[in-house]
Amino acid sequence: MNETTQVQSLRLKVFVMVFGIAMPVLYTVGDMAALPLFTYHPGTDRLEWGWGPARKDEGPAMYWYGWIAMSTLGAAVLGGLAAALPPKLTARLPLCLLWVVPVLLIPLLVYSLKYYWRW
Amino acid sequence: MDFLFDYIHVNTFWTIVLIVHGLMAVALLGALTHQAMAVLWPVRTGERADGFVARFRAVSGQRYAVAVCVLWVATFFFGAWLYTKYRIYVRIPIEQDGFFKTQGVFELKEHLVSFGLGALPAYWYLWTHAADEAYRSTRKWLTAWLAAVCWYAFLVGHIVNNVRGFGS
Repeated sequence: MNETTQVQSLRLKVFVMVFGIAMPVLYTVGDMAALPLFTYHPGTDRLEWGWGPARKDEGPAMYWYGWIAMSTLGAAVLGGLAAALPPKLTARLPLCLLWVVPVLLIPLLVYSLKYYWRW
Repeated sequence: MDFLFDYIHVNTFWTIVLIVHGLMAVALLGALTHQAMAVLWPVRTGERADGFVARFRAVSGQRYAVAVCVLWVATFFFGAWLYTKYRIYVRIPIEQDGFFKTQGVFELKEHLVSFGLGALPAYWYLWTHAADEAYRSTRKWLTAWLAAVCWYAFLVGHIVNNVRGFGS
């Protein structure tokens, strides 16, 4: 493997690792802080930017697609920025964060759904 | 899509989409369970893989990686497509009937499968470098995490279908 290929492989590794760690964090922030990229109204098939409330006689509003779009775009930007950093700065990134971070975020997600936990 | 409804009833169409979603989930569950077993409980050198469980564990995890990525994305796509109908025709009646915990565990499923989607590029990268010992631990636990999410999503999807699925 020549030097250029090695650098490209390292950048790809940093991109996918940072993307994988940042995506669930941004998704959880988007959920808890009501920050979808857009809101979808399935009753009228209408999209609006950002967070929008359900409108009278138009059915519910859906934010899930907007959280996914926001967190995917945000994680891609962060992954791209991290990949552009010098390799010595990113070499010590703990890979275990890829599964530790989403597991640690589960209690926050459960809390965000507290409306449903009625006994 | 509307031209399709000249040929099949709208309910039939969405039933087909739900069945395709479910069948892909079954395939994904099988692939991920094989792979997770292979990394968590590998067949040791010299161990005979002649029983059912040993053969189940003896697969090459690397061979499943691309299929898992493709199946996760495809299952997610069909699930996301169904979600628009679910939001109106399933979730509202579930809430009206007071099945709040059922609704809650389903919402958690949507969050967790999204986390899984975000982990796929790293999962793919780690499995394409399967010979690299430096990635072994992360590859093992990331695979186990995805398998756990897949099992949770599969079981919860089943429960919600039982509460308000076909024929309701």
